[in-house]
Order: sequence, then C-alpha cells, then structure tokens
Amino acid sequence: MEAAAITHPRAAELGLAKPRLSERRIALLFAGTGIAVFAAMGLAGLTMRLAQAEVIDLSPSWFYRLLTLHGAGMLTGALMAMMGALWFVVRGTVPLSLGRMLASYLLILVGAVGVIVATLVGGFGTGWTFLSPLPFYPAGQWETWATDAYLVGVLLVGAGFFVFCLDVLIKVTATYRGIQRPLGVLFLRGREDTAPPPQVIAATVVSLEGLLASAAGTTVVVSMIGRTADKGMQLDALWAKNLIYFFGHSVANLIIYLAAGTIYVLVPRYAGRPWKTTKPLVVGWMFTLLFVTFAYSHHLYMDFVQPGAFQIVSTFASFGASIPVAVVTIYTGMMLVWGSRYRWTLASSLLYLGFAGWAIGGAGAVLDSIIPFNFRFHNTLWVVAHFHTYLLLCVIFWALAFLAHLLEERAGRTAPTGWSVLALSAMAVGGYGLVWMWYLSGVLGVPRRYAVEPSGTATYSLVGSIFATIFALGFLVLLAEFLALWRQRYEVVERVSGWTGGRYLARRRLEELREPEEPLARIPEPAGTVLATPVELAGALAVAVACVFSFLPSIVRASEQSTRYHHLLHAGQFLLGAALGVLVASLPAVFRRLGPRASDLGIAAVVAAPAAMMLAMVPAVYEPLDDRSALHFLYHLGIAALGLVAGVGAGTLGRVTGRLAVILAVGMAVMYAAGVGGT
Amino acid sequence: MLRYGEPQVAIGIVFLLLALVIVAVFVTVALQTVSDVPFERVQGVGYWLRKRWLALLCALLVVVVGISLFNLPYARGGGARRTRVHVTSVQFAWIMTPSQLPLDRPVRLDVTSRDVNHGFAIYDPHGHMIGSVQAMPGYTNKLDLTFHTPGVYTVRCFELCGLGHHLMQASFTVR
Repeated sequence: MEAAAITHPRAAELGLAKPRLSERRIALLFAGTGIAVFAAMGLAGLTMRLAQAEVIDLSPSWFYRLLTLHGAGMLTGALMAMMGALWFVVRGTVPLSLGRMLASYLLILVGAVGVIVATLVGGFGTGWTFLSPLPFYPAGQWETWATDAYLVGVLLVGAGFFVFCLDVLIKVTATYRGIQRPLGVLFLRGREDTAPPPQVIAATVVSLEGLLASAAGTTVVVSMIGRTADKGMQLDALWAKNLIYFFGHSVANLIIYLAAGTIYVLVPRYAGRPWKTTKPLVVGWMFTLLFVTFAYSHHLYMDFVQPGAFQIVSTFASFGASIPVAVVTIYTGMMLVWGSRYRWTLASSLLYLGFAGWAIGGAGAVLDSIIPFNFRFHNTLWVVAHFHTYLLLCVIFWALAFLAHLLEERAGRTAPTGWSVLALSAMAVGGYGLVWMWYLSGVLGVPRRYAVEPSGTATYSLVGSIFATIFALGFLVLLAEFLALWRQRYEVVERVSGWTGGRYLARRRLEELREPEEPLARIPEPAGTVLATPVELAGALAVAVACVFSFLPSIVRASEQSTRYHHLLHAGQFLLGAALGVLVASLPAVFRRLGPRASDLGIAAVVAAPAAMMLAMVPAVYEPLDDRSALHFLYHLGIAALGLVAGVGAGTLGRVTGRLAVILAVGMAVMYAAGVGGT
Repeated sequence: MLRYGEPQVAIGIVFLLLALVIVAVFVTVALQTVSDVPFERVQGVGYWLRKRWLALLCALLVVVVGISLFNLPYARGGGARRTRVHVTSVQFAWIMTPSQLPLDRPVRLDVTSRDVNHGFAIYDPHGHMIGSVQAMPGYTNKLDLTFHTPGVYTVRCFELCGLGHHLMQASFTVR
C-alpha cells in the first residue's frame, strides 16, 4: 500500500524488487556524495562565470585551477551518483558485492582528494583533460608533485570505476552463465523466450565499455606519471590525446548510460507500466556499445593528422549514438508516460525533465558531430553548451530524481507540491537560460576555457551567471526539501496529493526499517575457468612458449635499437607471465581451491599489476641496469612475474571477465609500447 | 569585436527549431498524462510510429553525414600550387611565415607546435570565426583555405595551453 502512495497505484502490480536496507544505504552514500560534489563544483562553475562576466576579480591562475577542478569534480560526482543508482537497481536481480562497491567508493574518494590538492594547493590547471604534454609545461604555475597528485587522483578514480565494472561483469556473467544472455543475444536470436531486465543489459554494456575506457586511461595516466619521473621519456602527443579522450569521453558518456539503466526501473514506478526488454532495446544497446567505443575520436576532428578512417567512423558513430537513445530509451520512456496517469512527484518530475535535457543536449551534440559544422564550433562555447545540457539538465536531474525517490520512499510521503514546483521551475529556467547563453556564445565563436573572454562578450557571461544563480536558488530549495524528507523518515503519513489531481493513501510502518534483510542469491564464483578446453590450454601454452623467445639475448639486443621495440619486448615478457598465470589458474586442481575470496585478490591483481608493469617500464628504471646483465635479466623476469600475477588474478574472475581482464592487461603493455619512446 | 558567423547562425537556427519541437513533444506528452489510455493502445500506435521514426533517423544519418563527407576541411594533395604558410605555436605566441597572405588564392597552412597542444582559430576582419585546426607537437596539420575578404585576420588559441591561453593572439593580413 505504501508503494502506491509514493509511486503509481499500479506500480505494486509490476512486481518490482523491494530494495534491501544495505542497498538503500549504499545508494544514499553514492548519490549523496555525488550531489554534494555537484554542489561544490557548481559553486566553482558560478565563480568562473562571474569572473568571465567581469563581476568578480579572479586571477587567470585561479580560473584555470577552478576550471580543472570543476571539470574533473563534476564528472566524478556525476559518475558516483549514477554508479550508486545503477548498483541499486541491478542488485534486485544480480547479487553485486557490497565490499567491492565500498572499495570502489574509497578509491574514488581518495582520488578526488588528490585532484583537489593538486588544483587548489598545487596550482595544477591543465583542464580536466590534462592533454600531454601540457602537464609538463606548467609555465611556472605548478610543481611536479602537483602533476603527480592530479594524475594519481585520476588513476584512482579510474581504478574505482574499473573495480565497479569488474564486479558488475563478474556477477552478471555468473548469474546469467555467460555474456550472451545478459546482453540479450540469446533472446534476440530466439534461443530463449525470456530476457534479462533492461537495467541488466545496460549494466553489462556499461561495464564492458567502462573496462575498455579505464584500461586506456590507466595506460596514458601511468605513462604520464612515469614522464614526471623521467624527463627523457617521449610521449607521442597524438597517441596520448587518443587515449585520454577514449578514456575521458567514454567515461563521461557512460555516466548517462548508467543513468539510462536506472530510469528503466524508476519510470515504471511512476507510470505504472513495465519497461520490458524488447528486441529493439537489445539491438539498441548493442549499437550503443559499438558507437560509444568509436565516437570519442570526434574530439580529434580538428587534428588533421588523425587517420581519416577514424574521423569518418567517428562521425557515423557520434551521430549514430543518438539513434538508440532517441528510438529506444527516450521514445519508450514517452510511451510509458503517455496516457498513464503518471504520478507527478518531485522525483518523477525530475525524471521527466531529464528526458528533455537528454533530447535537447543530444540534438546540440549531434549537430556538432558533423565535421564541417565542428570546423566552426570546435572548442567554442557551443561544446560547453551541449554537454551541460545533458549533464546538468539530464544526468544531474536524474541523480536528483534518484535521491528524491529514495528519500520520498524512506519518508513515506512526497515532497510538498508548491515547493517542488518552485524548485524545479527555478532549476529548469536557470539551467536552460545558462546553457542558451553558451549556445549563443558558440554561434558567436567565443572560445571555451578562457579566463578572460574576447571583448564585447561579457554580457553573455553576465546573463548566464544570473541564470546560474536562479538555478542555484532552485537547487537550494530542493536541498531543503531533501533535508525535510530525510528528517521525516519515521513519520506516518495518511494521504498525499498528486499534481494531476490523484490522491492516494500513504502509510509507512516503523517496523519496515527493522525488517531483516532478504539474503542475496548465492551464485558460484568464479564462474568458470578462463581456459576450459584442452585446445584453449594448449593455445595458452603455445603463446607462453613463443614469448620465451623474448628472453633470448639476441632478441633483447635487437630490441634495444629503439625504445618502443624494447617496450614491445617487455610486453612480450608480460604476456609470457600472463599466459602462464591464466594457464595455472585454469588447471582444475588449482581452480577448485579458488573461492569468492580469491576473486577479491584477483581484482586487486588485475588492477595493480599492469600499472606496476608500466611504471617499471619507465626508461629511468631499467636503463641503469643495461650494463649489469644479471640485474637486467632479473628485471625482465620481474616484468614476466607481474604478468603472472595479472594472469592468475584474471583466472579468479570467471571465464568472461577473466579473459577480458587478461586481454586488457596485455593490451595496456602493448599500448604503452606504441606511444612511449625514450631520449 | 566578434560577430555571428552565417553558417553558425544557420546551424543555431536548426538547433533552435529542433529544441522547440522537442519541447512541444514533451509538453504534449505531459499534458496527456492526465488521461488513462490502455497501454496496449499506446503500444499499438507507438510501435507503428517508432519504425518510421527509426527509418527517418537512419535516413538522416546517411544523408547528412554522407553530404558532410564531401565537405571535409582536411587538406588533400601535395599543395604544390598553394601558397605555403608555416604556423608554429609556442606558449603563448604564434609564429607565422609569411604573415601577409594573398587574396582569392589558395593557401595551405602547415600548423604545428613547439611545446604543448594549441588550437589555431581564425577570425576574419569582421570578427566572424571561420574555422580552426589544432597545433600538436610532433605533427603538422595541413589546412587549405582561400581568403576572399581583404584585411586583418585575428588568430586565437583554441586549446587550453596554460596560464596565458586567453592572451595567445596573433594577426595576419590578407591583400
């Protein structure tokens, strides 16, 4: 009965999973932290806008520090909020790990501290994109330690997301016995009549893409950390830009797909209609996986040396990515809402407004994805406009909707209609006013990331600042509502009114909060060995034998003709260890002894070992050993040992996740070799 | 003083129209929420319409992106008949050789950087932004242009390059 009070009267008939207390707590922790970060970063954003409007005096040094903090912080905050939200909605079906989620939280939190210290204390101001080699050309603004603090911070945030994605993939593939089922492939091919719920498909796609993106990010960030220690290291600027944007763009993009997974569960609660997995939805998510992978290169449209094929594939992928969104998620959302007697509450109104933000911001982004248009708009405020439209007016709205949903359910009542209307009106007017000033400025050709904008454009910044202030006031009213809801969690509410005239009874018993948790479904972990058949085992052995040649003195000497070849040799040695590690972990006698506990260590191994391997590949580490053959051999053996750790670790993660983890680990070594040269 | 560029205004108007259509759709759907329509009926019409919607978007993808591929700003060919201009960026200045460019004659700009990534954005004498290309260390980006308006053009940096990013300006003359 209480569900009907907060949500749609028919929501109870949908059989939606009731969240456990631990899920509510984790979700509140992530969403609460994310929104707190958003509030702080929003203040930094307003400060910058007021400085551009010439209302306040802010030195360029502080402007660029705040710019860097604002970008990195906003993405981190939004990522956290939506990670928590997706975790919450998926855990009703898949027993995601509480401990790993907390580990992920801690990693991200410590990483955020690194970014804060680097920018506010160390003066680091490259923008969140930290494009190499700018961090090494500080123009007297920051020291090397600040660069390291920032890079380590980003590395830890990436590691936190990596752990989250690994856990999702491990549990999803274990629950659904493989990767095809949770992606909906078996359902699509007609092999099975039932499909996983849409949030599981979303989570699977996000985790696959998130692992790819994090691996690319780890490679470039670790190589840049190495560069701070060894000034002779040469990082290819085009290589670094590709990896940074593959990481940064993909993660930023995935935030909205994390959010999409969440709304598949939330919208039905207010529309009273189920959001079912259909074949178009499955196809849409497959294309999303494909498009998100290749879309990042639009950040390099104006780098004419980027291979032309990348640019063309990227323009199709960037434009094409809007199609599953428009045809599947937004369209189906509107179908669910149409004529449903949608239950208008604070949470559901934010959900609805978020759809509009995604659609409008998406249209702005699609126009910018067309190369001749991008020629005129690249790095103008048009870009700032469209990503703020879907991050501020969609993702943040959905994060707030999720938080409002949790708090309204917890309080057993909805937020008062008048205050909600006031808050949302101010946020919508303020938010759209803010972004429209950026769209106009983009049309005018005003560059983004300018501490002092070209003369004659301050009025746009001033009007934008006024709208941002209106948004902030609405947000404060919303926070006050959240606080009131938080305090009234034990109150028994008899009735609440809906915006469209519906009235539902609401009761919430105190005892409900004290109910013992329903135990999670137990699934075997790890789910299968990485190598299962004699052919696969023999294949890994063959790879290992082939890689033994990377230890031959003649090959080692030959590789020393070029730093990159030498790094490739190291990658071969790492592959030797990884192949052996996977082989050992897949042996039945060894695998039987591995339990769920081993998976935790396995996750730590596949996160840490590749990073350690790349740090060991900094020329300043191995060059002093070149003339000492025994130590040199031991060094190469150490690289292989790190591969072994990664391989054994991957062997504990199950067949699908383990395979992907070991491919990514070796891939990082190869990517490093491709982009890092010496003096 | 910046002025609205014509292509940008056209794109801006297209975007404004799209945004208005989206708002209209969302307002319409929101107004319909007071009614109670059986979901089967919504699905029947919705799925029929969705196929057309998908076809329209796919057609737009092919047509719009297809046409755009014939108008790429990327330089082609050796550029032997073009006036070559060497553009080198350094924190926080542009070095252009020559700094006087011919009117109505094809020009090839070879843009590179000595230190960090910069962005070479050109504004015509009236303040219209006419395009940009990145300047990347270790690489040379080739931009082909023909200037039809005589006067002093302004160059601004379009990639965050450090403390003096917003001050990194230069000019060249076309006559």
